[in-house]
Amino acid sequence: MSRSLVVTALVAYAILGLAPLFAMALRVEPADLAGLLDERTLSLLGRTFQLGLVAAAIAFTLGLPFGFLVARTDVPGANALRTLGVLPLLIPPLFIAMTWCVLLPEFRGAPATMSILGLSTFPLVAVFSARAFERIDARQEEAALVAGGLPAVLRMELPLVLPAALAGACLAFAFAVNDFGVPDYVSSVGAKFNVYADEVMFTWKEIQQPGKPVATALPLILLTLGTLIPALALRRKGAMATLAGGFRRPAPLRLGAWRWPAFAFALGLVVLGAGVPIARLFWEGGNMPRHVGNAELSTTEALSAGWTTLRDSFGLAFERARNDLKNSLLFSAAAALVAAPLGLILGHAIERSRGWKGRALELTTLLPLAAPAILFSIGIIAVWNHDTTARLYDSAWMGPMLLIGRFTVFAVLISSGAVASLNPVLEEAAEIGGAGPIRRMVAIVAPALRGALAGAFVLVFVLAMRDLDSAILVPAMNKTAIFRAFNGVHFGRDSYVAALSLLLIFAVVFPGLLWTLLTKRRLEVLP
Amino acid sequence: MHRPQRTSRLFGAPLPWLLALLSLAGGCSEPDLVVYCALDQVHSEDLIREFARESGLDVRVEFDTEATKTVGLVGRIREESSRTRCDVFWNNEIANTVALASEGLLQPYDSPAASEIPETFRDPERRWTGFAARARVFIVNTDLMDPSEVDSMDDLLDPKWAGKVGMARPLTGTTLTHMTALFQMLGEEAARGYLTEVKAANDRGELDLTSGNATLMKKVRDGVLHWGWTDTDDYYVAKSDDYPVAVVYPDQGEGELGTMVIPNTVALLAGAPHPEAAKAFIDWALSKEVEAELAASRTMQIPVRADVPRPEHVPNFGPDGYRAMDVDFQGVGEELVERHTWLKETFVE
Repeated sequence: MSRSLVVTALVAYAILGLAPLFAMALRVEPADLAGLLDERTLSLLGRTFQLGLVAAAIAFTLGLPFGFLVARTDVPGANALRTLGVLPLLIPPLFIAMTWCVLLPEFRGAPATMSILGLSTFPLVAVFSARAFERIDARQEEAALVAGGLPAVLRMELPLVLPAALAGACLAFAFAVNDFGVPDYVSSVGAKFNVYADEVMFTWKEIQQPGKPVATALPLILLTLGTLIPALALRRKGAMATLAGGFRRPAPLRLGAWRWPAFAFALGLVVLGAGVPIARLFWEGGNMPRHVGNAELSTTEALSAGWTTLRDSFGLAFERARNDLKNSLLFSAAAALVAAPLGLILGHAIERSRGWKGRALELTTLLPLAAPAILFSIGIIAVWNHDTTARLYDSAWMGPMLLIGRFTVFAVLISSGAVASLNPVLEEAAEIGGAGPIRRMVAIVAPALRGALAGAFVLVFVLAMRDLDSAILVPAMNKTAIFRAFNGVHFGRDSYVAALSLLLIFAVVFPGLLWTLLTKRRLEVLP
Repeated sequence: MHRPQRTSRLFGAPLPWLLALLSLAGGCSEPDLVVYCALDQVHSEDLIREFARESGLDVRVEFDTEATKTVGLVGRIREESSRTRCDVFWNNEIANTVALASEGLLQPYDSPAASEIPETFRDPERRWTGFAARARVFIVNTDLMDPSEVDSMDDLLDPKWAGKVGMARPLTGTTLTHMTALFQMLGEEAARGYLTEVKAANDRGELDLTSGNATLMKKVRDGVLHWGWTDTDDYYVAKSDDYPVAVVYPDQGEGELGTMVIPNTVALLAGAPHPEAAKAFIDWALSKEVEAELAASRTMQIPVRADVPRPEHVPNFGPDGYRAMDVDFQGVGEELVERHTWLKETFVE
């Protein structure tokens, strides 16, 4: 690839994704680092590590069999389940927590936090595993089947998909350790389950030491990087293990008597992670009054009142949040449209650069993912709130710029993995034939990776639509639907917030749904 | 070539349209006034829109979220202090406003509309003015208990209520301001002792520490808890939704502290880019009409001027009503950061 193309992409990424972090790093003074190794900090870090570990283990335990069932077996409705299985990842985890805390009031503290984050992130493992299961050659599987039936198939396949599933679990770990909304919400009684992300947020108030939140975040950043780097190594291993010449797709495995129990398991996961939270939002959207004055309502009256409330709630939510929804869609779509090709160029450079250059580039691109969102947002203010860039900082452009900086890393990860499965011979031939780097990218690489590019677009879009943490500080991001929904939580008008949340979920799911319906292709989020 | 064209259509074609739409999103136009508002968006948005209509000004309002409870906007004002873009800060509490004033981030403005507001709620240097207050009250589920069973902050730690009572974690918002005021009212040792007992009761599973006042209200409203400490606006939201709840103004007995009352505050930012429009906004916000509208809204904000009309369910404080805690807000604001650090280390262990 042309050096100038890569350098241009790198400069863009450095300005949008790395400069805010660099600006924050400059604030750190030696005094800010004091206390990082004290007992309290280490205890918080240890607890957060434990949270990440258990949440990742739950995600792994649920996601691996789910991925196997929907990708490789004759479980009823496998394709639909596979699509629906992504839903828990699309719903903000706080919505899932709010649902289960209402339904199971005794389910609190560390077990609840870990379970909810595990349930919310299991699709990561499921998607990784499903993709890996699909790449196992039919001949290998047929041989195992003849030798020892289904148990032998599983024994043979498990080592092949394990790297991919573990890579998904590592990402689940990274999501879990950076979440502070769920632990804060579910552990309100008994031994408080505080996590390290809390500490970063609260340290920000200690104004005498502006560098302290950055210093405080360092262990969390290192912990996240320490997980993501092995995840990438595992993914590379997984990708290599399943790329064989003359590949033949295997037929679905017959589950026999286990077919319906397997269906119940897979459907149950979708219902627990997405069905129940969405149903609860509908129920809250039609929040039925129990009394009118002192008079109890009959069931029919309550249902009728509920329907009216639901209709009114959607009306109010749409009326008030119309512009915010429009902004969310615009910002997210613009961010995804820029992030996908930018990620392709950087991902291609990472994958095709041998040795330390590629790994260093990969590590650098991971930084925005490892840094807490609040630091990234403060960094945005530090970089852009100056007289020379004031018009830009005050404008709506800041929204997509922030989202590109925060989420291009996902497009990079998807693209680099996809490039790994693309034979470089085609590009070399085109180069010999006189095609320039941009032409090779547009004519050879991009068309071959169309599915992965679309996957990158959708993932960036989804994450951008549901991103609240970075929306707190940057003016343009205050005019988004997720911001309005969480602003409304305090008001206690649950029906309005529920209706708004449902509109938001619909807007998040819509592009993926549209892609699947129009193209009849699954999103190749993973290579 | 066929396939490249499809790819460029996929990613290239929508981009110019989106960029054009982004420009139309209006973010590039310079407003006449920028207001940072920590009062709940659902309540303040319509009011501020009314101001914009009456004044003819293009007002850009930015709000806070429940997740950050004022900290987001206060933090942003600090971070943006190298180039102030906000003109007016409408805070839903007072301590953080005082803290901003102490840091030199606010400028004086003696609004004529504030002339009848009691001095307790005004900065002697006129860098901020308080209005439309909330009281820190007990919300009681009347299906589960009689409201007369509780009347003091000490009831929170009474073993009788183990597992049935709660308050918000004292790290943000009005609860943080309230607990900081306790240090001033009770003294260092007694306040630390009280809060340490609160934490110990939480550790034993006897006292619920929720993520915010609204969450606490919902737990009492739904009968998960019998009663708890919250703000009047949260109580009234439950009440107006027909839940079986009642309010208790605590610590009214002889020698007791009185009920903590926390006003909204409005302030002019130092270096505000649109000072004249900002002053017009502050005059409007401090008018009796706006205070009356806030009292009549679902937030049940309590007017700080006795002669402002209010609905029957909004009681007065002072000589004609319940006794308010006699707090030096300036002191509370100045101590806020120090107290927050101690509270963080106590409650986030």
